[in-house]
Amino acid sequence: MKLAMIGFVCLLPMMAQDVKIPASIEKLADKASEVVDVTLDASLLQLAAKFLPANDPDTAQVKRLVSGLKGVYVRSFQFDKPGEYQASDVESIRSQLRGPNWARIVGVRKLKSGEHSEVYLRTEGGSITGLAVIAAEPKELTIVNINGPIRPEDLQELGGHFGIPKLDGESGRKNDSGKKDE
Amino acid sequence: MRRILALGLLLCAPAAFAVERDFGDLVRALSDELHCRPTRIPFFGLVNLVAFVAEPAGAKHLDLAIFEHPNIDVRAEHRLLQTVQRAVGRGWSPFVTVRSRRSGQFELVMVYMRREGRDCRLLVTSIQRDEAVVVELKLNPDGLERWIADPELSARSVHGDSTN
Repeated sequence: MKLAMIGFVCLLPMMAQDVKIPASIEKLADKASEVVDVTLDASLLQLAAKFLPANDPDTAQVKRLVSGLKGVYVRSFQFDKPGEYQASDVESIRSQLRGPNWARIVGVRKLKSGEHSEVYLRTEGGSITGLAVIAAEPKELTIVNINGPIRPEDLQELGGHFGIPKLDGESGRKNDSGKKDE
Repeated sequence: MRRILALGLLLCAPAAFAVERDFGDLVRALSDELHCRPTRIPFFGLVNLVAFVAEPAGAKHLDLAIFEHPNIDVRAEHRLLQTVQRAVGRGWSPFVTVRSRRSGQFELVMVYMRREGRDCRLLVTSIQRDEAVVVELKLNPDGLERWIADPELSARSVHGDSTN
């Protein structure tokens, strides 16, 4: 019984952030020229939801979305030159998203620019319980993990908040101009 | 009635003390790590008087410590990160971390958040090669909204706001 309790306690942090950042990705921080790490756990999100004004149409929708979420985690690496991270590094994230509950709903690959964006959805019992975004560019790698009920179209509303990059609704493509407009 | 008031004060005091202690602990830990003391800011109490009345950018209270010319080595980044993580108390949740080494410059920003009644407190540490800043802010909902809208930009702006 004690062992079961200890095991449960040990597993709690993993459950909190369901897509784990592997050590190979963490090590990219040493090569990156810039690393941004945004962590919003359930308590911070509840706080945010409580504080966002409901009468402002811009934030009312975000407030509604956020109040149901359990966690938002954003990790972004920027590099001075291409080739600082390997396809295997991204694969270590992608392999976690091949579980029975996960499904890739958007994948955009641009051979010319080397951009590769993917959006994954996690469903349990017919309900969406999580979402993950991998946006890989030659000199930038961004991983977004949203834990909780969220629809793909909600990503557009959340884009530009909480450090989540703005996404093009049509393709799931990262919208750089939108990000810089903030 | 007096007993109830006294009991209330006694119950509230540890929480208030814990917040103060975290800022002080962090400043002391950075002082030891950087081998320099924070610059004395004359009449800083007046800033808080203004903040209490006007709440500029949603800030109701402000504690600030500036370390000038600590001459930080880029290689110290990991050590500084750990120093801050150790010094910040358990009641704080990590919110944003930005590490930048663009064009040979070095910048490390760590933001922790905690709820305090209807308000929230942010503990921000911003370290650059020639300057380090520790700020503790008590924010009203407007101030928090700005931080939530763009955590990275807000975190980066603390260094400029407090030193310019």
